[in-house]
Amino acid sequence: MAKLEKIAITGGKGGVGKSTVAILLANKLIKKGKKVVLLDLDVECPNDYLLLGQKLKRSVKKIYARFPKLNKEKCTQCGLCARNCRSQAIFMPPKGYPLFVHELCSSCGLCWHLCPRGAIEIGKKVIGQVFKSKVDNNFWLITGRSVGVVDETGPIVTKTREYGEKLAQKLKADYLLIDTAVGLHCGVIRALIGVDLAMAVTEPTPLGAHDLELILALLRKLKIRAKIIINQVDLGKERLIKGIAEKAGVSIKYRIPYSKKIVGAYCRGKLREVNSW
Amino acid sequence: MKIVIASGKGGVGKSMLASSLCMLLAQKNKIVAIDADVDAPNLHLWLGEGENWDQTKEISVLEKAVIDKPKCNLCGKCVEICAFGAIEIVSGKPKVNEFFCEGCGACEVVCPQKAISLKKVKNAQIRVKNNVFGFSLVSAQLYPGETGSGKIVDQLKVEAAKFDREIMILDSPAGIGCPVIAALNGSDLAVLITEPTPSGLTDLKRVLKVVNHFKIPWRVVVNKWDINRPKTKKIIKWANNNFLGKISYDQKIFQAIANLEPILTTDLPAKAEILKIYRQLVELIK
Repeated sequence: MAKLEKIAITGGKGGVGKSTVAILLANKLIKKGKKVVLLDLDVECPNDYLLLGQKLKRSVKKIYARFPKLNKEKCTQCGLCARNCRSQAIFMPPKGYPLFVHELCSSCGLCWHLCPRGAIEIGKKVIGQVFKSKVDNNFWLITGRSVGVVDETGPIVTKTREYGEKLAQKLKADYLLIDTAVGLHCGVIRALIGVDLAMAVTEPTPLGAHDLELILALLRKLKIRAKIIINQVDLGKERLIKGIAEKAGVSIKYRIPYSKKIVGAYCRGKLREVNSW
Repeated sequence: MKIVIASGKGGVGKSMLASSLCMLLAQKNKIVAIDADVDAPNLHLWLGEGENWDQTKEISVLEKAVIDKPKCNLCGKCVEICAFGAIEIVSGKPKVNEFFCEGCGACEVVCPQKAISLKKVKNAQIRVKNNVFGFSLVSAQLYPGETGSGKIVDQLKVEAAKFDREIMILDSPAGIGCPVIAALNGSDLAVLITEPTPSGLTDLKRVLKVVNHFKIPWRVVVNKWDINRPKTKKIIKWANNNFLGKISYDQKIFQAIANLEPILTTDLPAKAEILKIYRQLVELIK
């Protein structure tokens, strides 16, 4: 059996067309008879479903964060939990019970592990959801999305990815396409680690070039093979990108010209229908 | 007064608007600007600057676990406690995955051999540029492979506050996670910029959840308003009294930035539209 190939679509800069390129690539592969699972790991602002005209209805999985909950009857106010919390998320008032500041808590679990009385219980709250959409016969979309105001979105990326990878194995998919968030932060790193290839999408401007250089540096650090895709290649200065590509020793895989057809399909959620550029 | 420019979605015009508003506000006010997009900072480019900074310094906002291997007896307690899956025992040796370690220190506390310690990592560079428009830009670059964007933004706010200016403008990154939360926390006004596409509006509503969480007054600017007039109409109606202004689509903006020309130094129609937005904003913060 052929191995599942994992390709990330990333780019550093926002609005350069990562999601658009991810879907156009999926379309291309499906046309060749391949089975594709597209994983939208921009969990803060996932948009692939909109571009494909899908709705996120019931989630197939909820993602939880753990947080400490005090059982006052068991607590002896010893302060061990507060002294050991490096996130400074536990406040110990003089002659009082410890107070947990959820906004600062990293859910590391040290406090409930240490408490000699077992007075700290583990609470759970939903921080993310996973959605599954079957776009058509050979095309599934898995979307991860944060719920409410969530500081640490990295765990949502990891859990959504686990779900998507399992599904892709089960379906015997040929390709797992991973659409990452913007930037270089932990959510992007968690989406990228262990992929076979990363496509860095950029635009031919100094902004695009600047951010491309950064994402290529990250990919190098993560030891991931990279290729470049230039979107709206005819609108700016392509030589800026060529310069970065040469310096980094990374090849340019696709050059996508500005296209009213693509922009229109993007706005109407009909990108599935675009088969060429 | 702290004003944040945010959007949820990337590439909808945050830095274009932020750079222009900074240049205009600086004509009559004492301001300082923060580029809170520490992953991929671009505000200096929109201000026509290269990488020639007046001051730079390395900072450390995170610690990571380091294992003293000769002391380790492979008991596995650290692997068990680590909530981030950052420690593994690989062929008889403990290994910290630096990309996953959050520096919580749980492993250090539970290690019976005292073989684990936390070490500070240099994860970003803070830079300052005093520009020709009469204000300072405080910016940072997260080192590729490092984490802690939100804490770096907190640090940028501390640095910018030292300038003691009337107005602080923060150009937020995309998304709604930790650096966006850090940028919005404690601010007085959020200018939310969007474009009339399904993703533009959806992401605007997502960032608005964070804005409302902090009870920050907000206004909306629609960029590229003329690429989808019916949708723009809907957004304006939805924003109601919170609508601040609109900017038209122009391929020449793309070309101006390809030449590192700030929009306000061009004669493009967007210049007049941004001036109008600026006047509305001045009325608002008076």
